[in-house]
Amino acid sequence: MPRQLLAAYPQEGPHFDEMLEAPLKPRPHWERLFDHLVGAPAGRMRNTLQSVERQVYENGITYNVYADPQGLERPWELDVLPLIISPEEWSGLEAAIAQRATLLNRILADVYGPQELLREGRLPPALIHGHAGFLRPARGLPAPDKVLLHIYAADLARSPDGRWWVIADRTQAPSGAGYALENRLVISRVFPELFRDLKVQHLADFFRTLRDSLAHWAPHDDEAPLVVLLTPGPYNETYFEHAYLARYLGFPLVEGSDLTVRDGCVWLKTLTGLQRVHVVLRRQDDDFCDPLELRSDSALGIAGLTDAARRGNVLIANALGSNLLESGALLGFLPGLCRHLLGEKLRMPSVATWWCGEPAALEQVIDRLDKLVIKAAYPQLRMNPLFGEDLDDRQRTELVAAMRARPHNYVAQELVRLSQAPVWDREHPRRLQPRSIGLRVYACASPNGYVVMPGGLTRVSSADDSRVLSMQRGGSSKDTWVLSNAPVSSFSLLRRAIGPQDLVRSGSNLSSRVVENLFWFGRYAERCDATARLLRVALTWLIDDTPAHHDAEWPAIISLCRARELLDPEVDPEIDPLDDVSLQQALIAATLDESVPHGLAAHLRLLFRVAFHLRERLSLDNWRTLNRLMQEMARHAQGGSSLTEVLSQLDRSVVTLMTLAGFTLDGMTRDLGWRFLSIGRRLERLQSMSLTLSQALAHARDSKESDLDWLLEVADSIITYRSRYMSRPEWLPVLDLLVLDESNPRSLRFQILGLYDYLVRLSETFGPCEAESLEPLIARLHALDAADDLRPGGKTLPALLADLQRLAHQLSDRLSMRFFSHVSENRQAFSR
Amino acid sequence: MKKLSYRVEHVTLYEYKTPVTLSQQLLHLTPRSLPWQQCETHALAIEPKAAEYVEREDFFGNRIVQFAVRTAHEKLRVSADSTIHLRARWDELDVKSSPRWEGVRDRLRDVTQPPLLDPSQYLFESPNVELAPALTDYAIRSFPAGRPLLAGAMDLMQRIYQDFDYDPAATTVATPLAEVIADRRGVCQDFAHLMIGCLRALGLSARYVSGYILTEPPPGQPRLVGADASHAWVSVFCPRTGWVDFDPTNKLLPDLEHISVAWGRDFSDVTPMRGVILGGGGEQELDVSVTVTPLDEQDIAPANKPGAALPGQ
Repeated sequence: MPRQLLAAYPQEGPHFDEMLEAPLKPRPHWERLFDHLVGAPAGRMRNTLQSVERQVYENGITYNVYADPQGLERPWELDVLPLIISPEEWSGLEAAIAQRATLLNRILADVYGPQELLREGRLPPALIHGHAGFLRPARGLPAPDKVLLHIYAADLARSPDGRWWVIADRTQAPSGAGYALENRLVISRVFPELFRDLKVQHLADFFRTLRDSLAHWAPHDDEAPLVVLLTPGPYNETYFEHAYLARYLGFPLVEGSDLTVRDGCVWLKTLTGLQRVHVVLRRQDDDFCDPLELRSDSALGIAGLTDAARRGNVLIANALGSNLLESGALLGFLPGLCRHLLGEKLRMPSVATWWCGEPAALEQVIDRLDKLVIKAAYPQLRMNPLFGEDLDDRQRTELVAAMRARPHNYVAQELVRLSQAPVWDREHPRRLQPRSIGLRVYACASPNGYVVMPGGLTRVSSADDSRVLSMQRGGSSKDTWVLSNAPVSSFSLLRRAIGPQDLVRSGSNLSSRVVENLFWFGRYAERCDATARLLRVALTWLIDDTPAHHDAEWPAIISLCRARELLDPEVDPEIDPLDDVSLQQALIAATLDESVPHGLAAHLRLLFRVAFHLRERLSLDNWRTLNRLMQEMARHAQGGSSLTEVLSQLDRSVVTLMTLAGFTLDGMTRDLGWRFLSIGRRLERLQSMSLTLSQALAHARDSKESDLDWLLEVADSIITYRSRYMSRPEWLPVLDLLVLDESNPRSLRFQILGLYDYLVRLSETFGPCEAESLEPLIARLHALDAADDLRPGGKTLPALLADLQRLAHQLSDRLSMRFFSHVSENRQAFSR
Repeated sequence: MKKLSYRVEHVTLYEYKTPVTLSQQLLHLTPRSLPWQQCETHALAIEPKAAEYVEREDFFGNRIVQFAVRTAHEKLRVSADSTIHLRARWDELDVKSSPRWEGVRDRLRDVTQPPLLDPSQYLFESPNVELAPALTDYAIRSFPAGRPLLAGAMDLMQRIYQDFDYDPAATTVATPLAEVIADRRGVCQDFAHLMIGCLRALGLSARYVSGYILTEPPPGQPRLVGADASHAWVSVFCPRTGWVDFDPTNKLLPDLEHISVAWGRDFSDVTPMRGVILGGGGEQELDVSVTVTPLDEQDIAPANKPGAALPGQ
């Protein structure tokens, strides 16, 4: 059996093999997994593969690829098989990484402090002054216990002789630890017994250390420190991870516009006022953090943040300016600096790297260009690595000229032949394939020194280029299992991994931006629901081609579709009546085509976008539900869906939206955020129901022939009606149910009384909140006379419906002005 | 030794279409104290009143002020009023006896000797000075093999003065250097960046100086308030001599008519006033007026229209 498994897997070669120590012979710490694979029936492995894919897909684990025209949302690539590291090997890696983090922190503290390394000539000035990451305003900022580097990551590679090398250091805002955590969650589930029996070390302790250390160094007196996770926003490549880590660590996820600096302190803008922030764990690049003192073109930053740090009122992790260490040019100086600063030998070497700013190095590099990879010395140069062996004569000449003109901008690195590990082949699920791998490991500062995460993010090359490890360029990832000889700690920070978790965390640090998004979440969810129901009714009636339908209420339905702009409102049906075929096409487009501005797909996209911003507040279940719907919509939008399929997609949309609505009723704490979400929902429903009824009345024929089933369907009240009247719908009872019946959650009265109630509750916190503006309309609703007004042809009801629509519109504007308007963008200005 | 005294009034006025609710600003308006320059008095007035106000020194040793206005306002006025005494900078400056430029370049990039810490800050690209190949091509003609550094810088300054047109309409704060080179026009800030770029492209150290220059009214006419503007020039590092200033806009070596406020790698390090505002939708209007008055002058006529920011020619 092993032979079959390894049929496509090279037994010997120039690479170090992570799994095999000899042909067909796994290394001791891989034996359990190997035996498991050999013994597993094909069906079970297929299930395992599917389970991983499903979890990635349903949990919405994504990675944004900048080059992708689709932009956001590429599923994270995760291989089933973990990389396994033995306890003995790990202890060496751990010590080396902790030492390196300590060293880099010392260098950072010196460069942003006394600069003795520069003065003594141990670091060339070009490495500092030529690096755009050297932030001059950050010099001299206080750092408690001289810790500037709170989180550090190193990219490691293993050469054919089995030794590990550091390829690059990540000191700005290292990414991937959250993905490592998510990988762990998925993979430990598919191999639960192996995971337990192999005593794989858990990751949670590492994150607890991070959380405790940040709290330890937070500048605070008595109050519990508030730590926020600062993200550049949903368009960042690793936004998923920001949201995931924020939820995992229990930190509010904030964008720059959520924070403000006042009197030298940082504050979170919440609905109830400003909340002092003590620690900013940043995933935003440091130069973008403060448009006042750092990059002035940053729209993402917090003006005054640097000065708040200068006054010691906020801890920024990593410290502003830490990007400076992300330079290949530094690598060659590390062994000497380690001896000088720590009095120790550097435990793990960097890949041989030459900085061309040294004239002797430049000449050597040019001589050996074929064997080297040329990289930018500074990240600001944004140059993709060039492999000397790939260059033709002309490219080579150009590169050499460029290097001679600005030698200090270049470094050259020895090519490491990466080690290989098995990945599971999707095409042939009984065969392992080899792929090059690299390992990203993480350390965090603690009062007792650097702590290394026992695991990491294993990055897997694409099949096309075994030299490059990049998620941006089609690579994949693996869970990393560090085995232990001792019992492992099973502490977990996740309160409940998956469950009907609250959409909004209670607590006062709800930012105004989040509340605004919740308001719109409510509105869009309701709007999608109304749109989907109307489209379903319209398409059903179109299929059901009996003349009576066309004659009776059909004009009302079509007119409502126009009023909702599902059909082009500019086209006058009297002059230019659409035939059934074009009508059907238009309605299907309004369902599936995102370019129809008010169609279902477009509104779902808006809902999804808002949900995306609320990502860390949505439970996994909700996210899955919505995500699945979006994927289905996208699949149908590619075309070729029959009318039946479109209708069943509409059914599923309605069900999903009901599920989301049920969750807001049943799964959310009743805090301010919930109240705004509910206000959004009620406002939207009020507007939508008023519109529906006014169109229905406008086209009504006051005959016994009126067929009002459609109206009850659009209003989701058909069951109630039937249970009460057991007869064909007629105007009086229908209008009573949809307008006046307080017990019907779709009725106008239900909406407006609910709104009134919420506004009164809001005014307890914020003072008068427009509740009184509802009173006259409530009174007019109350005064409606069943006999006179609840029929087509009257004047009172249509006028009231028009006023209700106007009210909903105005109220929405006024609430936005009052509560969300300060969520505006900063603007920059200079004088010349 | 000759000594001159000046009063400098620098008024910046922003007008906004809608109220600004929060304004945070960073000012580089306090003249430096230097061996040849004494800042006797310096007063800063901010309207409306600043809710927060901090003074400190920046990375380059310039005095800066950071303030915040929190009351809603449609106008923001910042005026800096300074009294400055200048004395001649050089007893004697012989540009021909300065060291050969290649030697200076090699010394600056030599990593085997103890580094020249101060000048090595100003050798590299900076936000406003991108080192395009065109800069090297333009610069090298002023630096044939063996030419003394300062003689080369002098020649470069003169060529920039000749080859480039002074044209306030041609550029803005955001115009990149490459465009200035291509179009051959700009203002003092562009010429300073250009000359700095040329020098850095050759491996020499050059920094940006912002300040003021005395302008003479046309003969027989009184001095106009606000007729002047902020000015900018270049400082070149020369071993033994130290930093030597060059003004490519006026083709002269700054001395008794140039008042230095701040220096840095380029404009972005020493922007007189830079800030972030909340609100103030639509276009904002900016009016800067600078008046440099020799202190022995008595008659100062008010300008008909203050604030037409004329160049420091």
